[in-house]
Amino acid sequence: MRLLKLGAVAAISLLGGATLMLMAQPAKAVPPFARQTGLACEACHTAPPELTPFGRRFKLSGYTLTTRPPLVNDIDDYKRNTVWLTDLPGVAVLAQIGYDHYDRAPPDTGQPYPAHAQSDTYQFPDQFSLVYAGAVSDKVGAWMQLTYNGQAGSVGIDNIDIRYSDHTYDNKWVWGITANNYVTFQDVWNGIGSYTLPNFNTVTLWSGGVAGTGTSSPIINALGPGSVGGIGAYVWFNDSVYAEFSEYHSAIAGGGTPTIDSTNLAANGGEVDRFAPYARIAYEYDWGYNSAEIGASGLYVNWIPSVGYISKQQAAAAALAGNSYTPAQTFNPGAINKYTDLSVDWQYQYNGQHNIFGFLGHITHERQQNSDQLVAATFTGASVPIYNNPTDTLTQFLVTGEYWRDRRYGGLVSFTRTTGTSDPLANGGDGSPANQYEVFEADYMPWLNVRFILQYNAYQVVANNQNPFNLSNNTFPNSPGFPNVKASDNNTWVVGLWMDY
Amino acid sequence: MKKLTTQSRSVSLSARTLSLSIGTIALAWTLMGSAEAADISLPPDPGARDASTLVSFACAKCHGASTNGISISPIFPILAGQNQVYIATELSLLRQHGRSDPHARAFMWGISNKLTDQQIEGLSKYFSSLPPVTGKPSKNPELAAKGKDIYLNGVREPKVVKCAQCHGEVGAGTNNVPRLQGQHPDYLKLQLHYYHTKLRENVLMQRNVANITDDQIDAVVEYISTLTGEEPPDDSPSP
Repeated sequence: MRLLKLGAVAAISLLGGATLMLMAQPAKAVPPFARQTGLACEACHTAPPELTPFGRRFKLSGYTLTTRPPLVNDIDDYKRNTVWLTDLPGVAVLAQIGYDHYDRAPPDTGQPYPAHAQSDTYQFPDQFSLVYAGAVSDKVGAWMQLTYNGQAGSVGIDNIDIRYSDHTYDNKWVWGITANNYVTFQDVWNGIGSYTLPNFNTVTLWSGGVAGTGTSSPIINALGPGSVGGIGAYVWFNDSVYAEFSEYHSAIAGGGTPTIDSTNLAANGGEVDRFAPYARIAYEYDWGYNSAEIGASGLYVNWIPSVGYISKQQAAAAALAGNSYTPAQTFNPGAINKYTDLSVDWQYQYNGQHNIFGFLGHITHERQQNSDQLVAATFTGASVPIYNNPTDTLTQFLVTGEYWRDRRYGGLVSFTRTTGTSDPLANGGDGSPANQYEVFEADYMPWLNVRFILQYNAYQVVANNQNPFNLSNNTFPNSPGFPNVKASDNNTWVVGLWMDY
Repeated sequence: MKKLTTQSRSVSLSARTLSLSIGTIALAWTLMGSAEAADISLPPDPGARDASTLVSFACAKCHGASTNGISISPIFPILAGQNQVYIATELSLLRQHGRSDPHARAFMWGISNKLTDQQIEGLSKYFSSLPPVTGKPSKNPELAAKGKDIYLNGVREPKVVKCAQCHGEVGAGTNNVPRLQGQHPDYLKLQLHYYHTKLRENVLMQRNVANITDDQIDAVVEYISTLTGEEPPDDSPSP
């Protein structure tokens, strides 16, 4: 039984790799784009970070549109630019502050229950970023973000997207190359990927959670900064048809030999083995104030999981199985799991004179083929089996409705439901990875770059070992655990401030 | 710039050395010219000075992606076939922030900021030469009939000046009066609202629609959206 628990704890991370997301704060719209183009935020955004059709074209055009005069500009004999430097580098500050209140005080991870813990957490700041955003040359632009992460307490490289883009004379075809470090960060719609609405999150469970594990989520949501780097090519035809193909490679931050040395693996993490292909197609149709999109995407990942031991008891359990590991040791079992994520996403947007509303979301189906070395029935590894099934599946459904009045008062309601195959070794308890929650958000934007947020997160289902209140399956194996644990213990009020300048 | 280049070419026929010197000067002049014209044409392609390239790179993003001057969203006006002098006048006004309605501030203040006079002239010629859009039959004939009366005859009390007086009977406008025919109805409504509330500067239009009501705006725009054809010659009898 002890071994089962060990496997379950290790498997939490393998499902979602949510710890990798700690540094992957969502990117935001930034004033440098407004300074560069001379356009107000509303040209590109309904409400940041959601893009308008113009904003999508701006991004796909490589962030290059500008009305700023160059400070330095030289050309060659063929009238081609040899250098073009703006008089105003596109530097911005992004800041987010959050105050969270849990319906039930979450466990004190330093002391076993019943240690006293507080119900409130103040993220000041939750995120503070410096960003370069804008044109680098006439056909190259970049978004490069350095972030202080309040939860990690550290500064690190965050989202990066460097683009080359060009178009035909009649604008029918736009094509480009993107080099980025976050699968889906390059996307221009908001039903899926790194810009999915809702976008403001602090420490509620779905965005990382008090235990840092988060809710079950397909791996496509977890390959972010500090984890991968990739390059891709795309075309955008007639402002309607989009096609992209990208390849991602492991790019673990903080290691001298980041992709070949397992000591760089985070506990409960892992890394991409070789190349992970990602493909994306989408069709957009605009009419009047309306814009509708439907798209599909696919990601294939060979994943090298790492196993983290988190307690003396579990280390002892491993010893009983004939292996010797010290507590908290991160272990690369030498196995590879294969993930295939297929998604369908949609977005409808009404961008009127005074009223804006949207309806967007996605369905992602993940097929996870677990390495024989890690599956109980065929276990051949050095540690312990961590899956019951050779193949696990996970399906995530997210739908969000939003409304804004005069870009000043707004709100959204979002529903997420995740289901999957039962795998007790991987997920603990009854083995279900399921979760279900809603996000209710009210917003007030006195200025387009200052936004106040009131959010309530309500949980109906939380997977057994992802519920931080299930102490017996999580931090304190010998703790009696919280009495009457239920998913709604994770319900959270959030008061937030989001500023870009 | 063009003159000097021509000169250098002609001189080169008679004296190669001299032509090289003048060619060098011409290149320098070109460079200076490109620096002067550090304008909206970014990507800053110095070869892209003509209007259609500007349209392709900048204007088309809102006013018709395929450079046809026909916008999709009613937030942005259709420019295809718009009158040349009107376009040039408005671009100049926007460049100097002489128009301060909300959408002018949000979109055109910045984008027109560095336009040169030559570019404004080129853009106005470009858009005015495109095939114009015409109106469509109304789905609300009753409302359109009410609007027709306002459009052709105005309102006596409280006074609203008849639109046809300046914009013509089929809404084609004249050189410095905008074409209304084929324009997005929502765009026209918003502009009338801007004039009525004096958010958009134009003393004449502010005065003309000072007394207009929301219902009258709906009606007259409904009628304008049905207009087709060309203005009758001046000497033809009124219908």
